[in-house]
Amino acid sequence: MTDRLSDVDIGVDSLLDTAPCGFVSFADDGTIRAANTTLCEMLGYARDELQGRRLESLLNLGSRIFYQTHFFPLVKLHGRAEEIFLLLRSKSGDDVATLCNAVRRQRGGEWITDCIFTRVYERQKFEDALLRAKKAAEEANEQLERQAMELEMSEQQLLEQGEELERQRTLAEEANRAKSAFLATMSHELRTPLNAIGGYVQLLELGIQGPITEKQADSLVRISRAQRHLLRLINDVLNLARIEAGRVEYNLAPCSLKEMADAVLPMVEPQLQSRGVRYSVAIAPELTAYTDHEKVQQILLNLLSNATKFTPANGSVTVTGSADGERGERVRLVVRDTGVGIPAERLAQVFEPFVQVDDSHARRAEGSGLGLAISRDLARGMGGELTAESEVNVGSAFTLTLPALLPT
Amino acid sequence: MWGRLPPVACRLSSIAHRPSPIPDSHQSPVTMYSFNMDTSVLTRNNVRVFGHGTQPMLFAHGFGCDQNMWRYVTPAFADDYKVIVFDYVGSGKSDLSAYDPKRYSTLAGYAEDVLDVIHSLDLTDIILVGHSVSSMIGLLAANQEPERFARLIMVGPSPRYINDPPYVGGFERKDIEGLLETMEKNYIGWANFLAPAIMKNADRPELSRELEESFCSTDPVIARRFAEATFFSDNRADLAGIRVPSLIMQCSDDLIAPFDVGEYLHRTMPQSTLRVLQATGHCPHMSHPEETIGVIREYLSGR
Repeated sequence: MTDRLSDVDIGVDSLLDTAPCGFVSFADDGTIRAANTTLCEMLGYARDELQGRRLESLLNLGSRIFYQTHFFPLVKLHGRAEEIFLLLRSKSGDDVATLCNAVRRQRGGEWITDCIFTRVYERQKFEDALLRAKKAAEEANEQLERQAMELEMSEQQLLEQGEELERQRTLAEEANRAKSAFLATMSHELRTPLNAIGGYVQLLELGIQGPITEKQADSLVRISRAQRHLLRLINDVLNLARIEAGRVEYNLAPCSLKEMADAVLPMVEPQLQSRGVRYSVAIAPELTAYTDHEKVQQILLNLLSNATKFTPANGSVTVTGSADGERGERVRLVVRDTGVGIPAERLAQVFEPFVQVDDSHARRAEGSGLGLAISRDLARGMGGELTAESEVNVGSAFTLTLPALLPT
Repeated sequence: MWGRLPPVACRLSSIAHRPSPIPDSHQSPVTMYSFNMDTSVLTRNNVRVFGHGTQPMLFAHGFGCDQNMWRYVTPAFADDYKVIVFDYVGSGKSDLSAYDPKRYSTLAGYAEDVLDVIHSLDLTDIILVGHSVSSMIGLLAANQEPERFARLIMVGPSPRYINDPPYVGGFERKDIEGLLETMEKNYIGWANFLAPAIMKNADRPELSRELEESFCSTDPVIARRFAEATFFSDNRADLAGIRVPSLIMQCSDDLIAPFDVGEYLHRTMPQSTLRVLQATGHCPHMSHPEETIGVIREYLSGR
């Protein structure tokens, strides 16, 4: 074997023998005819150990099959093979990764395949990484497709849920409208007999149907008080129901804030005086809202009677007016008292229907609990807002904001 | 893992699988199926028929190559036989658009190809020469329609490649996985090597064609599935039922089909003849065509 290599050209031979790649020549049946020192060292064989061996015995098992099914047919049919990845098997049984180029040609009356094996180190790692990345990408792609499908399905479900929610919302709205209509009708129907009760009590009190005793007169006063209380509750319910049913009409017009506040004062003055609460109004006469003055008065009356109810003697209730917004596009009316105040955690609830701050207050201050709810609904109905600030034992401030009438 | 064909290495299949925007009646398998089933199989499996004899000799290639591997052997039989060569769907110049992953995930699917070719040409009294895995594919076909076969000639057969003690197949599962990895690596390299080679020879189309013919399976997905169908198969249970006389051509030093396997086949298959060749390796029809031809001739003349 060494003779074959050495009897051509000493210089080239020794170069070939120690070239930085393995070299092997083998016949069609795989019998090795020559091998260089580099290959022997690569695989840990002594040169004479390769004598008579078949190339396949230098391959790992997977590469042996590949050699028989791909490599050999390729070289035989095509005469050459390039960049074929093969795992060689060293004498000690280790895999040696190589890239192989081969040429099959006739030499010395025999078909010989000359092969060089270049070791691959880093390249194999890169290829492995590439294959792994490719597989990962394929898997990710499949997963993405699965997710896309799932998303499509959940989108469909969401659409269906949305439709279901829309149906339920429609149903709820219908139910709410029915409730408001029912409340409006019932309140109206209840007022008629209550008014009849009130009328007949008056007739009796006036003695038109005959003289009454002092005890009877006292009872009539109680009946009358209860009747008025009930009537007030029902009116509140009716108002709320009307607002919710969208049956309230707003007659919007320029209204002087001061005039509206002054108009309400006589209605609460007796209460203020009897409770010993001081009262003051500070509103510039030019402040004008574009609003429904009856509704504003209703709101103010509610705010003032609340303030009066919850403010102890020697306390004070003040109404102030001011412009609001960057261009003065809104006006503000603030009703401030020095009353018991509302705990912070309850403040948001005071606008909910049927809520009063607590039972003890409810007992002390009569009312349906609808006043503030109605007031805020009315304020919003006119394009305004009603908000509250409060501190326990310091007082409360209710701010009614309304659209201003801007000078054109 | 191989759910999607990689963009470079699946050159042929990607062309074949992609629907052409312009319908091409010459290549459309649908058109051919609807008008002439026979023609469609002949095109699909790239069937070639030649020779002056009447008795059909059907050569079936093994895994990793195509009908070209028979070119050193078939001329010797052209005077006395009708020689038929073909490519399995997914190999050689078969119609890759006809590739059905499910059908070709087992050897039974490949046996259907053999029977399709036989039916298309209405062959009887067949001598089937199968290399490697095609020995078992031929066996499966012969078990289905034994009346059509006269002889089975098996070149380097193995009914099972993976050891199953006491049965010795020669390989462990991890060895086959090593093969799959080696294939995977080389299909990267081949695609890179092949594409510029073809482009470089654009002025010599015959060279490009030869290149393509030399590469029996350039689609890594198909090749991998064929490898799995081949090397994970177990056809030991199909051997005893064979009703066709067979020749087992056992190479002297075949790492893929070791001597024990040839013995096992001979023991298990009735009417079988075992011939041990001087030829070494797994492809005696390529490495030792003369001896291969001689052994086949001798067997056929001894009938």
